Amino acid sequence: MSTASVVAAVRDSADRRTPLRIAGRAHWLAAGRPVNARTSLSLADDSGVVDYTPGDLTLTARAGTSLSEIERITAGHGQWLPLDPYGHPDGTIGATIATASAGPLATAFGTPRDLLLGIEFVTGRGDVVRAGGKVVKNVAGFDLSRLLTGSWGTLGVITEVTVRLYARPRSDRTLAVRLAGSERAAADFLGRVEAAPISPFALEVVSASIAKTLGLGDQATCLIRLGGNSAAVDFQLIALSRLGRADEIEPRVWDALRVLEGDADFVIRLSGLPASVRAAAGAMISDSIPGVYTSVNVARGIVRIVVTNPASSSVNALRDAGLSLERPVEGSFVFERLPAEAWKSVSPSVVSDALSQGIKRAYDPFNLLNPGILGD
Amino acid sequence: MELPAVRERLAGIVGERYVLSRPSELLVYNSDGLPGYRRQPKLAVFPATRDETVAVIRTLAAQNLSFVPRGAGTGLSGGALADDIVVVGLHRLKQIISVDVENRRAKVEPGVVNLRLNRHVAPHGLFYAPDPSSDAACTIGGNVAENAGGPHCLKYGVTLNHVLAMTVVLPSGEIVELGSDTGERDGYDLRGAFIGSEGCFGLALDVTVKLTPRPQTIRTLLADFLSVDDAARVTSAVIASGIVPAALEFMDGPTIRVVEDSIYAAGYPRDAEAILLIELDGLEAGVDADVAEVKRICLEGRARNVKVARDDVERLKLWQGRKKAFGAMGRLAPHLIVQDAVIPRTSLPEILETIHSISEKYGVVVCNVFHAGDGNLHPNIAYSADDPAESERVHKAMTEIMKACIAAGGSITGEHGVGLDKMGYMESIFTGPSLNAMCELRGVFDPERRSNPGKVVPSHACKEWHAVASARDPRPLAADPPRPVAR
Repeated sequence: MSTASVVAAVRDSADRRTPLRIAGRAHWLAAGRPVNARTSLSLADDSGVVDYTPGDLTLTARAGTSLSEIERITAGHGQWLPLDPYGHPDGTIGATIATASAGPLATAFGTPRDLLLGIEFVTGRGDVVRAGGKVVKNVAGFDLSRLLTGSWGTLGVITEVTVRLYARPRSDRTLAVRLAGSERAAADFLGRVEAAPISPFALEVVSASIAKTLGLGDQATCLIRLGGNSAAVDFQLIALSRLGRADEIEPRVWDALRVLEGDADFVIRLSGLPASVRAAAGAMISDSIPGVYTSVNVARGIVRIVVTNPASSSVNALRDAGLSLERPVEGSFVFERLPAEAWKSVSPSVVSDALSQGIKRAYDPFNLLNPGILGD
Repeated sequence: MELPAVRERLAGIVGERYVLSRPSELLVYNSDGLPGYRRQPKLAVFPATRDETVAVIRTLAAQNLSFVPRGAGTGLSGGALADDIVVVGLHRLKQIISVDVENRRAKVEPGVVNLRLNRHVAPHGLFYAPDPSSDAACTIGGNVAENAGGPHCLKYGVTLNHVLAMTVVLPSGEIVELGSDTGERDGYDLRGAFIGSEGCFGLALDVTVKLTPRPQTIRTLLADFLSVDDAARVTSAVIASGIVPAALEFMDGPTIRVVEDSIYAAGYPRDAEAILLIELDGLEAGVDADVAEVKRICLEGRARNVKVARDDVERLKLWQGRKKAFGAMGRLAPHLIVQDAVIPRTSLPEILETIHSISEKYGVVVCNVFHAGDGNLHPNIAYSADDPAESERVHKAMTEIMKACIAAGGSITGEHGVGLDKMGYMESIFTGPSLNAMCELRGVFDPERRSNPGKVVPSHACKEWHAVASARDPRPLAADPPRPVAR
């Protein structure tokens, strides 16, 4: 697989007007979203790091390169790409960018939009477009890198990306704080954390169901990841210990958290203002719907709800989860994964506005790329 | 409609005082921060409110007139120049609409000056991170248009990373909301596409920005060197160490001396051939450890001295010399040409060597003052545009420098934008189809290409596609019901 073969596949599909479903390794981000295409174009074989100069802290990789491969290569130089989207680490960098997927580390390092420096993609006409570059600061030309990030393959088939790397922290430690007691107590604790002199790499409040599965006991728990030089991390550990009992746990817990949801076909995010999400976090995680995992990223103002119970894996589950979410936070839902039959009932297209439609027509005039994946 | 009639209609919206049409009045608007380019606008109009702005844009749309949005005119790429068309100046839209301390965000009108926003939010322990050197004058609207950077973008990121949402009036007069100020959304990142569009996609009526908590501790180091090469190698070494300084700025000997001769004298050692201004911030305990390590790297790299600013007064003085360096160049010659190329940071020593030999070859004095930590170079040459022979040499030297940066795998602009100045280089870093994709994106926001026409992408690079007709009216696909996707 190469850019040339992607071009050939797209041109062929244009000639025959047969749309394509774009896939990475089809591990984890298929999302159950409806795609009106019988033919698949897999980028899984188009993998490998193209360019990596550790001293520049940038890396260029083919779209089919897995996150775990990038992790392995960069770790050899004491560096990392701080992107930890939920799902199997063998998912690809191309899919991560295409879906703009981020995980707990986004608290400190931002989302793929903040880490992407350059992109190569093939439009629905079979044109190869390269935007951005390999340097860390760049305003040459209009920002097609941002435009493609999170476009779910509908504007172009991403074939190569350049991302910004960071040095791995010298010290990387994780604390678990059990949030016993009332919802109010949890909100109070988070308020104190917010005011404390700490700047965590990640801070997730997880429901008792998640804590139990991770072997952290049976209470809702606040997981805090601190990174940096030892002096900075030690200082923050002390600051946190003043706020209550915090147990140090293995940083591996973050890997476990990423894959916890397995194949769950029901994942939604509620996104609101950070302060209101923080205030409501206690209530969010106190719900005990069987098979429901809830986690809250306070800094980003995101509540993520995973329904793993097959019995509730239906349109009803949405209503159940929706019900339990009704009260505290004003915000909007982002549907990550739903059972196929549920998409129709919940997804007015997120790209139905005139500008988005215009861009889609310009980049994929024959509607060949992942048609329907963002709603019709 | 004839010019006087347009003028009258615009005056009816903004008031007689705020429409300029006499050549003498328009002289002020015939250049931006890069005085080498001059273009005379036909009219300049200055709305004071959002409603007036929308009415102005709709009036221009109805008459099919092109225009250039303009903030404070501090840009360094000729991007805000209007060649016989209308300037829409936005500096009167200067309300800070709201500050939400708890959620760390502020909503402002486009004409709010960057530094004023920072002063406004400082009492809450917050700051707006992007800090172009012109922050005392430049506006948030202009910052959005250029995706502005600044010294502290090394750690904190550029404008793109700090804008959550915007209300935009498109050149057609239609109003759209891009991004979201109440949470993250799905869909195409139109916010990201708009930021850095250099006024070609329309103009922002309001901008919601992220605010950042002020770090507990800030330490500023001044390291001086007797060789440019040593300073360049230390820069690469600091970056490779993994420490992310808040800022890492480089000034070479000619720049140091011109600053020290000016009213912005900062106490830099005049006999040094290069200085690095390195700022580290964060939690006190961690910063102290980083300061020690950076000091060690500097001294091992043959820094003659590393001085840590004792207090804020000293710190701000060190910064003032850097921030006002372009202004100080005014002492050398009437005109200044500034480049903005970005290179991979490991290439810094070789590129500075190349720049030096190019300057000798053409007999020009290049002053290097730039964001070394990002690899964002600002070689600049003071010259007199009235001397054709000198202008010619300066132009040739700059072209050669740019080519060397491109050859090193770099970009032609890191933060100043393409504007008019760098349009000629676009084809050396982007392919035809890539430029065309940019043209098409622009065409969606501004189908008639009336907003800041003739900038960023050379118009001959914009193909008219044969497929356009069918693109507008795509052939229907065979009916195929949605079905679950195998995972």
